[in-house]
Amino acid sequence: MFIQTLVTGLAIGGIYALMAVGYSLVFSILNFSNFAYGSIIMLGAYIGYFSLMKMGVPVYGAIIASIIGAAFLCLLNERLAYSTLRKRNASSLYFMISAMGTSIFLENLVYATIGSRFYAFPEVLTQQNISFGGVSIGLLDVFAIVFSFTAIYALHYFLQNSRTGIAIRAASYDMQVSQLNGVNISKTIGWVFLLAGALAGISGMFLGMKYMVYPTMGWITNKAYIAAVIGGLGSLPGAVVGGLLLGVLETFVSAYVSSVVRDVFSFSLLVILLLVLPTGLFGKFLEEKV
Amino acid sequence: MKMKWLALIVLTIFTAVIAGCGTSGDANIIKIGNAVALTGDNSTWGQAEKNALEMEIEKINAKGGVLGKKLQLVAYDTRADATEGVNVTKRLISDKVVGIIGPGQSGVAIAMSSVTEPAKVPFIATSATNPKVTVDDKTNKVRKYAFRTCFIDPFQGTVAAQFAAKELKAKTAAIVYDVGSDYSAWLGKYFIAEFEKQGGKIVANEAFRSGELDYRAILGKIKGTNPDVIFIPTMQKEAALVMKQAADLGIKTKFVGGDGWGSPDLITLGGSAVEGSYFVNLASMDDPDIQTFIKEYQAKYKADPIMPNPVMAIDALYALIDAMTKTNSTDPAKIAEQLEKTKDLQVLSGKLTIDPNTHDPLNKPAIIQEVKDGKFVFKSKFVTQ
Repeated sequence: MFIQTLVTGLAIGGIYALMAVGYSLVFSILNFSNFAYGSIIMLGAYIGYFSLMKMGVPVYGAIIASIIGAAFLCLLNERLAYSTLRKRNASSLYFMISAMGTSIFLENLVYATIGSRFYAFPEVLTQQNISFGGVSIGLLDVFAIVFSFTAIYALHYFLQNSRTGIAIRAASYDMQVSQLNGVNISKTIGWVFLLAGALAGISGMFLGMKYMVYPTMGWITNKAYIAAVIGGLGSLPGAVVGGLLLGVLETFVSAYVSSVVRDVFSFSLLVILLLVLPTGLFGKFLEEKV
Repeated sequence: MKMKWLALIVLTIFTAVIAGCGTSGDANIIKIGNAVALTGDNSTWGQAEKNALEMEIEKINAKGGVLGKKLQLVAYDTRADATEGVNVTKRLISDKVVGIIGPGQSGVAIAMSSVTEPAKVPFIATSATNPKVTVDDKTNKVRKYAFRTCFIDPFQGTVAAQFAAKELKAKTAAIVYDVGSDYSAWLGKYFIAEFEKQGGKIVANEAFRSGELDYRAILGKIKGTNPDVIFIPTMQKEAALVMKQAADLGIKTKFVGGDGWGSPDLITLGGSAVEGSYFVNLASMDDPDIQTFIKEYQAKYKADPIMPNPVMAIDALYALIDAMTKTNSTDPAKIAEQLEKTKDLQVLSGKLTIDPNTHDPLNKPAIIQEVKDGKFVFKSKFVTQ
């Protein structure tokens, strides 16, 4: 049972990690919690579902549609809800409120247009298991863990080596100084949101396949926020470690204590951790983000 | 100057709103309230309930209405949420409805009675099966303005446990329930009581919090106890996910549930994992008594009515109409008094008799349905013993 619990925990943690990375990416540049991220994930799942089921696009096509769709929605979200605030130098509190508003708006938009039905992906995609020595894990879970790490590596490479990546890093140190040095801030931030949106698309597709597609599915990103804080806000490796850690901890508490007190434990851990390490596990001072 | 204009506009809007409220009390219309979940997790049943009521009221109006007046349905969305349910009830009462049909959820119904009791407006719950809906557990007295047309959870839990013990020959059982839902927690308790009475053993009793998506941690724990049957007293969404994830973990056992499962969503979401599971329901599409209704509904809405709420709601509608005609009144308090005396009234699901001591229907049969080839199949019928 111990090993099965550990494997299940890692699988659940993989989902948290995937979402935490996208969330952390936006935080690292704009320094605010993008609470609309959960809704973008949800819309990504809907795009994937409808292109697969209603338009007959093959699975890989649906994943790509979901990535592209969510990326553009995330960019649109920034352009409509945040760019004006950014130009007026609003404090991050206003960004957060705007994000919450966007999130509620998007959820209700789905309720009003598509409806509140649950949708499930066809079983062929979701019911493949790997078993070894009495322990079983879904193929999708393995994919989540592998993909989280690949995405982190790709992002890291992109941020370190590409011109845009360097611009993003520069902007994350000091937006105004980098602007004076010729970095197009608006374009750079657009890239950040496109990347975060692409991750949201794949997370949404993955969540939809694993569980189901419905308007409030974005709430699970709350766990991603916690994972990101545990790992250290704005740190991408921290987001992955935080996600996996949270997933494993939750699963062990559910299995050995009770799933009713699960969140009491995970939030207590969060508070204790922040008392000891105010910036999280991989946290640095804000000047050294990304 | 600007302020004056603003004040004038605000005043005009207010007057218009108040005037609108005033004229809405048309003397030739009888308003019937419907507190129903039109969005959210329970909306599949709620929308079918509202559709069925609208269809039935249209028919009644075409035949001349009730007491020479036309009926009008006023349906507001509770989202299956207790707070929202209270707000909706207040709105319905200010709309001057003669009675309220719904809600379908016990938690919402219990919250609503805090408004309906002092206002003296009756509500007839459709599928709220918790005993506390009609009887206040603190005083042990019946709530004067709370009624229902469905059976209650002690009966449902008993039926499920007897079915598991007698027909499935289960010796051991595990429970997976939602600690955040009165319906789920109590149904689990009634099941345990009867299952143990039948000589069975409960090997695991695991709770989760409402809104949970991943049950693999608790299922891993249950897997070790190897139960003959797993009882899942939840709504269709949780039940489907539990069964799906149990299949992922290689758990091979029989699953049993309550009336919360009775939505086609169970099959869409659970797929092959829900095949061969059983659940207790209030009404079945196979019931010969309701075939005319089903055909009419299908013809009008081009979809199947989602059982059992439409049937329970129409039963409630006829109980209300019966009380109105017998008292020759549209006074909610008088209607409530008459509802208590409902006896052998022909309704859609059969004959309705309300027990004056509990406001629950008497001799309501329970149906066991099996999920077979992606359909709900009638398995057997239980009657209160």
